[in-house]
Amino acid sequence: MDLFTFLLYLLKSSFLSTGGTGNLPILYADLVPHGWATERQFAEALAIGQVTPGPTGLWVISFGYLVAHLPGGLLAALAISLPPFVVLGILWLYNRIERHPAVRGFVRGLGLAVIGISLVTLLDILRSSGVDLRSLLIVGAALALALTNRAPVIVILGLAAIVGILVY
Amino acid sequence: MTTNLSPLSLFRIWFSLGLQSFGGGSATRYLIWQAAVERYGWISDEEFTRFWAMCQLTPGINLLALTTLIGWRLAGLAGVLVSLFGLLFPSITITMLITALYAYIRNSSLVQHALQGIVPATVGMGLIMVWRMFDPLWREGRRDGQAGMGATVAVVLLSIGLMTLHLLPVFGILIGMGVVYGIFQWLLHRRSTTP
Repeated sequence: MDLFTFLLYLLKSSFLSTGGTGNLPILYADLVPHGWATERQFAEALAIGQVTPGPTGLWVISFGYLVAHLPGGLLAALAISLPPFVVLGILWLYNRIERHPAVRGFVRGLGLAVIGISLVTLLDILRSSGVDLRSLLIVGAALALALTNRAPVIVILGLAAIVGILVY
Repeated sequence: MTTNLSPLSLFRIWFSLGLQSFGGGSATRYLIWQAAVERYGWISDEEFTRFWAMCQLTPGINLLALTTLIGWRLAGLAGVLVSLFGLLFPSITITMLITALYAYIRNSSLVQHALQGIVPATVGMGLIMVWRMFDPLWREGRRDGQAGMGATVAVVLLSIGLMTLHLLPVFGILIGMGVVYGIFQWLLHRRSTTP
């Protein structure tokens, strides 16, 4: 895959999704079947994106770097910098069109589809690293720790790394 | 209102926000609110809420759309460019450096074993992110009564099914579910407004 193709896929995922990780399932479906990126790279980038400053959506910078080094990271930066400008159009439209129920429903349907798609993608990532009692227990423990809202992400990932070294 | 804010001081404010924003989206959003509403009084609380709602409809990262709106309000296109660059420059640089460091050690066996633990933990935290996305949609659906709740669950299950069976590309599933829920919402609205 050349850099231009990579940029097109980055732009596509970024313009067709909303929120920090909404672009993940789209990129995943576009790149993994071709062997252009691996499940592992997605998981690694997500973990790095959680511990670095900035919006969670910056995981894709790390992903770009892992797939295509510095140029990949810079292309990812370009791809996330363009869609926010659409909001200026929304601001312009704000007082001009009524909030039609079908439009609101469409947006809600998009959000619900992202949820279903993300669930399937997360299970794919888990399957790629191996599903056994140990990994399921780690999933449950991380989920429980994150739910308490007390443990910072970096602590959860650090603990998971230590557990990984000890039990695998 | 700040009318004589120099580009450099605007850049400096966003740069420090970008640098401090450890802890993901909601932490960053709080920092931006604190700066734009409380400390500098660029926009009102109501405006912030309205801006945030518009950001939900914008593709890409919501926080960057919020930054764009605030920058636009302050100084037009120049304000947008300075604000976005200021927010993104430190966080992108740090993310790249950490990734480069990681790429250097990623094939050591210690990292391999650590990853065996980290990947499932990422999945666990990802499940919570999915739940947080679902929660507001579920509450909106509940407001429409049983039909709304049923349609909400049905659309999620339908997209899981389509995704598992590889019947449609992801983009097709997104648009398809948008159209399905759009029609549903429209019919529901018509039924409730016609006597």
